[in-house]
Amino acid sequence: MSFSRRDFLKTTGLALGATVLPSWVYSADISGAPLPVPDKHALADTALKLAKQLGAEYCDIRINKYRVESISSRERQIQNIVSGQNAGFGIRILYKGTWGFAASPFMNTKEVKRVTREAFDIANANSQFQTRPVRLTKEKAVTGKWKSDFKKDPFDVPINEKTDFLLSLNEAALATKGVSFVNSRMAWVNEQKFLANSDGSRVEQYLIRGVPSFSVTAVDRAKGDFASRNSLAQGLSKGWEYTTDYDWLGEAKAAGNEAVMKLSAKPVKPGKYDLILHPSHLFLTIHESVGHSTELDRALLWEANYAGTSFLTPEKTGKLKFGSEIVNFFADKTQKNGLATVGWDDEGVPGQEWDIVKNGKFVGWQTTRSLAHLIGEEKSRGCLYGDSWSSVSFPRMPNLSLKPSKKDISTDALISDVKNGIMIHGRGSYSIDQQRYNFQFGGQTFWEIKNGKVTGMLKDVAYQSRTTDFWGACDGLGGKSTYELPGTFRDGKGQPGQSNAVSHGCPTARFRNINVLNTSSKKA
Amino acid sequence: MLLTKSDAKKITGRILSYVKADDASVSVRSNKSTNLRFANDAFLTSGSTVEIGANITVWKDGKAGSASTSDFEDSSLKAMVEQAEKVAALAPVDKQYLPTLGMQKYKAVDGYVEDTSNIALKDRAQRAARIIEAGKKEGVITAGFHQAGADASGYATKNGNFGYEKDTFASLSVTARAKDGSSSGYFQRGHHDIKSLDTDRIARESIQKAANGKGAKIIEPGVYPVILEPQAVGDLYGRLRFQFNARLAEEGRSPFSGSKGATKIGEQIFDEKLSVMSDPWHPEVPGSQSAQAGIPAEKISMVKNGVLENLIYSRFWAHKRKVEPTAGPVNLIMTGSGRAMSVEEMIKGSKKALLIGRFWYIRTTDARTASVTGLTRDGVWMVEDGKIAYPVTNLRFNQSLIQAIGKGTVEAVGKPERIGSSTLLPALKLSGFNFTSISEAV
Repeated sequence: MSFSRRDFLKTTGLALGATVLPSWVYSADISGAPLPVPDKHALADTALKLAKQLGAEYCDIRINKYRVESISSRERQIQNIVSGQNAGFGIRILYKGTWGFAASPFMNTKEVKRVTREAFDIANANSQFQTRPVRLTKEKAVTGKWKSDFKKDPFDVPINEKTDFLLSLNEAALATKGVSFVNSRMAWVNEQKFLANSDGSRVEQYLIRGVPSFSVTAVDRAKGDFASRNSLAQGLSKGWEYTTDYDWLGEAKAAGNEAVMKLSAKPVKPGKYDLILHPSHLFLTIHESVGHSTELDRALLWEANYAGTSFLTPEKTGKLKFGSEIVNFFADKTQKNGLATVGWDDEGVPGQEWDIVKNGKFVGWQTTRSLAHLIGEEKSRGCLYGDSWSSVSFPRMPNLSLKPSKKDISTDALISDVKNGIMIHGRGSYSIDQQRYNFQFGGQTFWEIKNGKVTGMLKDVAYQSRTTDFWGACDGLGGKSTYELPGTFRDGKGQPGQSNAVSHGCPTARFRNINVLNTSSKKA
Repeated sequence: MLLTKSDAKKITGRILSYVKADDASVSVRSNKSTNLRFANDAFLTSGSTVEIGANITVWKDGKAGSASTSDFEDSSLKAMVEQAEKVAALAPVDKQYLPTLGMQKYKAVDGYVEDTSNIALKDRAQRAARIIEAGKKEGVITAGFHQAGADASGYATKNGNFGYEKDTFASLSVTARAKDGSSSGYFQRGHHDIKSLDTDRIARESIQKAANGKGAKIIEPGVYPVILEPQAVGDLYGRLRFQFNARLAEEGRSPFSGSKGATKIGEQIFDEKLSVMSDPWHPEVPGSQSAQAGIPAEKISMVKNGVLENLIYSRFWAHKRKVEPTAGPVNLIMTGSGRAMSVEEMIKGSKKALLIGRFWYIRTTDARTASVTGLTRDGVWMVEDGKIAYPVTNLRFNQSLIQAIGKGTVEAVGKPERIGSSTLLPALKLSGFNFTSISEAV
């Protein structure tokens, strides 16, 4: 018998009250095959009790379930529909200042005991060679339930509504003469997370994230040339309503036109230009140059062997001029619809907001309980996250956003003061060094600006700069009406590699005299 | 726990017994892995994970649906099948559907070594501690990552195919940095046999690079001859196999597209010294016995002496084009014709060149020519008159990967080395590489 989650909540009365979670605690989940429902509190009691007996200084257990759904299509056909879920638990033990972690999908008391011992054995074996013991900040024990901001759970939406949505995007893009191919995709993720730790915290969270996307390609077979235009909209922590409260069809139609236009667009002449960067593009520049450089674990060399370090160091806090005085960045784990928005992080620290760059000066770091005291702070900023029950939690980026101008300045007003410039929309090719200094970014569409007006399309554009030079060259910010909250769904970091979803709100912004390259090798 | 062949046969059989749809393809997998991460001369995180999973794709009236689960209990497997069938019932017709394969004959691949699957915690901790100590003796700070694990998987179809395979993999990467942050060195290797993972060499090479990289000079960006160590070749060309997509080439949106729907098969696309292939049974880098959709993998030559020999046809595209689907690739092997030269010989034979050990953050800037941008990382050295003259600062490049190894550009090819889990690549000396700006990052 099919049984919708909503029906279940209704019949059990669980839908009443703001803190009720549609959690797998309550099982009966029609959109995914049911997994065994463990008594999470009992399993947590077992792990925490054993860890204490073994002498652990700290222990946490995360018992999580993940659901994913992705559908891909090309032109007039659906290519793939994948519905998956997995569940398990991971236990982290701190012993003699050394971490041990172990995880398993077998959620029963015997296995929890085995895994707790294994995490302890790892910590114990390594502790004999530990040279710098880990210390944690003291945090208040928390209990509660939290759910991300969504109206309609996408896992409750029938598959045919989803395939219809994608095929309608494809039709809209194909309506333009000259469009040869279109690929579209949507992915939905549901995290159902339970955390208990030896401080007495016990929290449950239910999160939804979604990302429709498409790519339109026009091919000029006579010239042996092709051009693609990818969607500008990015992932959000929203439900199915995201497919209707953004003009996806309008954007698909525009993408078709722009893919064809790109084939005959004027190649950019390398040189210095003023840039007008739309939020659909600027968010990734923020992510790479500001988001990663202000991760404290990078600055302390913890990521030296993989993601890299940072040009920022703790002694530069409060001193380094990061950008012009109008530049203000803030981190916010509570931002509505932000991809990294949570009730609590993976060690029980509540979501919060704090300054990263204030009036152009670098002032704040991203921290966790093991990082904060290393810069003399007593409380964590709550940036610990593991992308699966089987992944050890480690420092990950919060939503990190650029404040808009207090005056409501329009994009047209920013353009009006540009004599020779380029406006860029969308995420394109992006590359930055391991200390987050030298970068080169492309985009999806490039629009020539002459004497305050957009005059036509350019192609093969990338700009190259250094982080502090670039943000120092920012002399104009749009107001609230230009502010958007784009984000990236899969930000890689750590060993073993993990993925994090994170948003970067920003207005349209203007940058003066930036070095622009032509990226086509055909010119050579 | 790792699935045995008998486990895999039983579980895939149970899953298929629940299938009411016309056709189905199932897979089950298990994995165990353990790792240790150290940084800034101290242990950071260390973990051990067991994972299992099952996947199914079903077709009913030509409509497809897929589902997965991480639980092997009957109720979960049954529910997974029902979920896939429910998805298929609502899905549009899968226009690319081809019936799943019947029984195939696989030639086994030898990629599993028991010792790699079961490492001793204390031994690993001691090795990592030794690396940290070795760095301290040379006045550098070290960071590294050691991992070892095993996979076992089975796959089956409603039309009677069944396959089982298991493999192991261990790797170690180490980054060494000068205490003042003025230089950095990196080295990593991986192998299916932990006994072939030379941890002392990995530590030594990374520490030496950091120690020899101090006092880097700034040079003008521009086109320089380059000597690329195997790691740097892997960073640039490790994903090359994905470029050989026949459909994209025939649709006119690949660097291997010719004009009017033709491809560049038969044309010289790389220097004649280079060949690129996939070989499931290569003893240094064994691949999977099974290629796409369960087709038994075979040895495939993509490029021979610089000439494009084969593109990769999916089952669907092969059917449409009335050709055989490609039995691979399952790994990437690049070889040179003639005598393999060592990096030292390449240095000796160079009047002027940049010696590069690693690239970083490589992204496509122009898909038409496989052009990319990226940066050097963890050490660049100027070679002059047959000797390493001095270290130089990192550089950003903008370069077509195809033009970089195009006709007449490859001056020397080294002996291929296993770099990652599925790549065997040589050092290369190339006549020109386009650097476009200086990067002061270390």
